[in-house]
Amino acid sequence: MSLTPPQLTALRSLLDRIIPADDFPGALTAGTDTYVLRHLLGDCTEEAHALLLGLTQLDAETVACHGAHQTFATLLPTQQDALLADLAAARPMTPWPPQLPAAPWFHRLVELAHEGFYADPANGGNRDAASWGMLGYAPRTTPERAAP
Amino acid sequence: MTSDHDVIIVGTGLAGGILAGVLAEGGRRVLLLERGRALADSAIPGDHLRNHRLTLYGDNTTPEPARHPRVFIDAAGDPHTVLPHDARYQLNAFTVGGGARVWGMQAWRFHSDDFRMATRYGVPDGSSLADWPIGYADLAPFYERAEHEIGVAGDHAGTTHAPRARDFPLPPVPRSPSAEWLARGADRLGWRTFTPPLAVNTRPYLGRGACIQCAQCIGFACPTDAKNGSHNTLLPRALASGRCTLVTRAHASRIITDNSGQAIGVEYFAPTTTDSATLERRTARARTIIVSSGAIESARLLLLSASPLQPHGLGNHSDHLGRHVQGHSYPIAYGLLPPDVEPSLLGPGVSVATTQFNHGNPGIIGGAMLANDFVKLPLIFWRQSLPPDTPRWGLANKRAMRDLFRRGIDVRSPVQEIPSPDSRVALDPAVRDTFGLPVARLSGTTHPETVRTAEFMRARAEEWLRASGAERVWSWPVEKKFSAGQHQAGTCRMSADPRDGVTDPFGRVHGHDHLFVCDGSLHVTNGGFNPALTIMALAFRTGEHILASP
Repeated sequence: MSLTPPQLTALRSLLDRIIPADDFPGALTAGTDTYVLRHLLGDCTEEAHALLLGLTQLDAETVACHGAHQTFATLLPTQQDALLADLAAARPMTPWPPQLPAAPWFHRLVELAHEGFYADPANGGNRDAASWGMLGYAPRTTPERAAP
Repeated sequence: MTSDHDVIIVGTGLAGGILAGVLAEGGRRVLLLERGRALADSAIPGDHLRNHRLTLYGDNTTPEPARHPRVFIDAAGDPHTVLPHDARYQLNAFTVGGGARVWGMQAWRFHSDDFRMATRYGVPDGSSLADWPIGYADLAPFYERAEHEIGVAGDHAGTTHAPRARDFPLPPVPRSPSAEWLARGADRLGWRTFTPPLAVNTRPYLGRGACIQCAQCIGFACPTDAKNGSHNTLLPRALASGRCTLVTRAHASRIITDNSGQAIGVEYFAPTTTDSATLERRTARARTIIVSSGAIESARLLLLSASPLQPHGLGNHSDHLGRHVQGHSYPIAYGLLPPDVEPSLLGPGVSVATTQFNHGNPGIIGGAMLANDFVKLPLIFWRQSLPPDTPRWGLANKRAMRDLFRRGIDVRSPVQEIPSPDSRVALDPAVRDTFGLPVARLSGTTHPETVRTAEFMRARAEEWLRASGAERVWSWPVEKKFSAGQHQAGTCRMSADPRDGVTDPFGRVHGHDHLFVCDGSLHVTNGGFNPALTIMALAFRTGEHILASP
């Protein structure tokens, strides 16, 4: 299982809208794309195929809405958000495959993105505990003293 | 068949570890079998996606999860083969020490009326509600012993729902500002609150250090070994006696019975050498056999041990084995702290409770304790605790996380369930585990009276948050579902009359002289509290009973 270059570009742009940067790092700064990729190729191989097809469909959706010269990645953020809002509300412009309805596809990627972004840094999507720093969360565990 | 042991215990959870300690120190030679591995705290990962509070893609204790599926029957009657991290599996921690390695440590005594629910409330249609054959007074000395030998921190004067003869050995956990805020809210309602009992070292105790109030508590191992269970108290005592042999990665497959039907040994699979991947079939013989594997696996082992004399499983003479599965229905009310309440992200977090509504609620059967929650992981907050109208993605979601993470508060309630005989553990006719043995098949759903009680408690939880001054309050309707989970109980209920249950009031399987069950399986009802201290008290009591028996 691997991504085509357009799929990878679409994924990064999508994650950048799901968790955008503001005064604090967003998904791309925190490496959440790395987490999602690792996840698609690891724990989630069963659903990976459908999720990747959805990335291609996202570009098709963009063409349907904005013309053949555009991809999802080249849209303005406001255009991207409007398009995603339509997908989230199950109002796609193009026919999505029945086994891959637009809204569940988008919600699953929303879930995956936040899993990576808010999980422990060792999972790869929360580099330097960026999201935890934003929230003021720190586990504050220290090394164990003794094994049982 | 070897007979180097007096007692074989299957399972090293809270009950199994306590029994090993009591019996080995009492002079018995104990063989202790554990399916999982002996994990140091540092070997239980701090993975926020794979832990016992959030098992998205796995958990942090179970070795080789694919070896041990279960079958879950959904509401439409369709079977689903599920692995340990699936919520439908019902959460067991397969490691030495069991769930107590990663638990939340609430260590409650039951209320005296929790032992006499049928007498107090009558038996609703379709339920198997019954009294316990023992009462609070029978367990009180063993509750006290568990509090002292395991180590429970609590507020002696404030914990009044059950009579107490002796103070807790450890001072109560510290209260966060939000817990104080909840306590003031309860005052306004005329509800009495106190700091709930937790099995945690609030100061150094029994040779181990104190809790450092880290923010990664429930679902994880403790960084200072301050999370108390049998794994760091009675089990080490058992091993230190020189009379306890612990075999890990040992999978019990059958209780062996003789021609008269009496239990004489255990058949199990264990590694050929300590670290070997190859497992071999072994048998061990002992005078006393104790099944202590949790309410699902204990029932399964007794069912797997059917013999020509007991073709439906050991202890299943009156068709109670595997039935009456209970956990707790858990209504939760969520809210937002006002901005002027100082937020706190310190563990364990549970530090204010009320037992105002455990019994005596008009028109309601039973009730429950109410308490605030554990310190929450960011991802769990994102999944469960944002206000329902919060956008799920984009800047609006990120800002809501930033603004509200430290202001989230919830109050939750382990509602005493009304047992149903149709909520049950059976053997699946089709799916087998890695040893070719039928796996547990889980079916049934919540009794309607449980839903009524849970809805009543949900309303009390909301009322508490509102009276405290929460800026917003919300909750979700209680759903009917198969309920067992981390508080699984009821499948080998004790009874005075063999017609009414699986074991006698000491956990001895009816009709058997030396076969015992000891874990939540014995609970006739599961109380309106976290059940662990009751499981521990029963283990001390059964252990002493075995020592005193001829």
